[in-house]
Amino acid sequence: MVRKLTGILLVVVMLLSLVGCGSTEPVQDDAGVEESSYKIGIVTPTLSASEDEFRGAQKVMEKYPDMIKHIVLPDNFSAEQETAITQITSLGDDENTKGVIICAGYSGILPAIQKLKEKRPDIVVITAPIWDDPDMMSKYIDICLDTDWLERGVTIPTKAYKMGAKTFIHYSFPTHMAKELLVNRRDKMKETCEELGMKFVDISTPDPQTGSGPSAMLQFLQEDIPRQIEKYGVDTCIFGTNCPMQDVIIAKALDLGFIMAEQCCPTPTQGFPAAMGLEISSEDAGDFDKLNQLISEKAAAAGQTGRLSTWPIPVGYFLPEFSVEIAKDIIDGKIDRDHIDMEVLTSTAQEVAGVEVNFNKLKDEIDNYYLIIMESIIY
Amino acid sequence: MRNLTPHIPQLFMIVFLLIMAITAVAAGIPSMRLLNDSMIRLAMNGVLVISLIPMLNVGAGINYGLPVAISAGLLGMSIAVNFRIEGLIGFLAAVLFSILAGWVFGCAYAGILNRVKGREEIAGIFIGFSFVFLMSFFWAVAPFKNAAMLWPIGGKGMRPTIGLTAYFEKVLNHLWAVQIGELILPLGLLAFFGFLGWLVYALFKTKLGLAILAVGENELFARLAGININKTRAYAIILSTVLGAVGICVYAQSYGFIELYEAPLMMAFPAASAILLGGSMGRKTSVFHAILGTFLFQTIYVYTGPIANTILVPEVSEIIRVILSNGIILYALLYEGRGKTYETN
Repeated sequence: MVRKLTGILLVVVMLLSLVGCGSTEPVQDDAGVEESSYKIGIVTPTLSASEDEFRGAQKVMEKYPDMIKHIVLPDNFSAEQETAITQITSLGDDENTKGVIICAGYSGILPAIQKLKEKRPDIVVITAPIWDDPDMMSKYIDICLDTDWLERGVTIPTKAYKMGAKTFIHYSFPTHMAKELLVNRRDKMKETCEELGMKFVDISTPDPQTGSGPSAMLQFLQEDIPRQIEKYGVDTCIFGTNCPMQDVIIAKALDLGFIMAEQCCPTPTQGFPAAMGLEISSEDAGDFDKLNQLISEKAAAAGQTGRLSTWPIPVGYFLPEFSVEIAKDIIDGKIDRDHIDMEVLTSTAQEVAGVEVNFNKLKDEIDNYYLIIMESIIY
Repeated sequence: MRNLTPHIPQLFMIVFLLIMAITAVAAGIPSMRLLNDSMIRLAMNGVLVISLIPMLNVGAGINYGLPVAISAGLLGMSIAVNFRIEGLIGFLAAVLFSILAGWVFGCAYAGILNRVKGREEIAGIFIGFSFVFLMSFFWAVAPFKNAAMLWPIGGKGMRPTIGLTAYFEKVLNHLWAVQIGELILPLGLLAFFGFLGWLVYALFKTKLGLAILAVGENELFARLAGININKTRAYAIILSTVLGAVGICVYAQSYGFIELYEAPLMMAFPAASAILLGGSMGRKTSVFHAILGTFLFQTIYVYTGPIANTILVPEVSEIIRVILSNGIILYALLYEGRGKTYETN
């Protein structure tokens, strides 16, 4: 009896959670058809997978409460791609949905967009970003946005040089060095370092994807950074290609006094809060000026003023709001979806982010794939 | 008379380590620092490895459900940080809270494992995996108040990593640390590790410890001798969970961060590898096996990195290390499987 009951209970819980995943906002179709007669869906990873995108979507939801429908992808995306595809295509079921924004940073989402577009060619789809084949993406997606990962191979060492670095250390591991983009970026960093007269050091750490998880890599970093700083001196900039590395790198930078020009994902929310033990009160949560000020104070207290830097707001937090603004303009007919003007993108971005954002085309022949670089803040 | 075959992995690893130590000296890598690091790593990871012993000896196999124990420890530490208890007292408070949480989690865990007798290892993997995600949910909604633990944008729910600098980072590493030339002996850390090792060693001299060994040896005979099998198994499992919870506290204070959410997911595997490498033969595992295994497994990590980066193509070293350590674990498993008879009950 107990077993049966537990079984039924489990089924109910699972069904409920399935339904619960679908919509976070009660649908108020008949309540009031005010100015927003259409809906825009935003797709992000879960809160624990990536806070920036999730909160970014929440922020636009507050801005346009009746317009936005926020959908969360499965935590374990790579294993549950089918669920993700169903979730995204189901957005097209609602006739009122006119725009879909996908801020996920995964590969394998394009099939979902293809299906969605077959069913509803009128829907404006903006990806910010997804990582599928760019040529295919530009065919089905109205606007593809991403951070300019490759160009950062030039901007990061250049910034480090300006901050006084004489040596540039690049920490990575085999799985990352098997990715074309990351290898190309490393080579660009090396080239830039040579041009600027900096010494480039490439160090391999234990691979976090070989079964033991990231702990071996992090322990190695803790032991290796002091060794390298002893060897190359404090005027060294350390860059790691993997997100968990940033906590250790920043903590060690405070301790040993070397330069940290940018994390792998440039944002004040990565690495800094944990390494500096930042206490952000709930009123200040989400206030990036305050967060940057707190980091500056902690950096000054550690004697590290001018030696730590990043982008002033997380790209992941900025992109959902920015994409919604662009999608709105396209739906309202203010922007022609086939001829997007870079000027409009730049000015909208400046309005949303409050700092300068530069756009570059991925390839000259593709005119709807843009890469962004944001202005830096040096603490 | 003494058969050396079962010790081939250890001998092989020791020879490999010696070669690396010589290479390190030849390559001009500061050896004292490597030695320091390997001592810290031994104690840092050692408690987690020792925590596997009670379950191995009671016949419940390797505790792949270690994430359950780790979650208990994370909860204990989070409570200590939430109350802003600092320094050594903070660490001890974290350990105390972890023991309590480990006890509660251990009871539930033991209840489940007693229902899946004979398949504890595979069940443990799944319990561990599902528990980590259950805890992820808890971390996201947990009503902790210390702003240094909360998400920087949302202001609610726990961050994935919490810095311990202001609380109890490296308190054991720095406790009674003695510097001899370039060598720093972390006596406090080693003493704490040694004390826990001694506790487990002493446990197996007591009535309960002997009962655990007897159950592991042969359940049928143990029952005939009047031992309550399920109760003894439950004690061993709870003990493993509590030790694992303390283990992550030692680990975190040395690492300097509490890692929540999916961080504990894979942590059972290095610990399992270490104890197999130490020569654990299933139901007769001693503290010595755990210490030797952890030392070999972790020291190889300490040495391969710098050596490879100095003299080899970096990517190759990582591949060699993975092949070596996994191959040797496979050997240990093969040897362990040989000549073992299963009791059906």
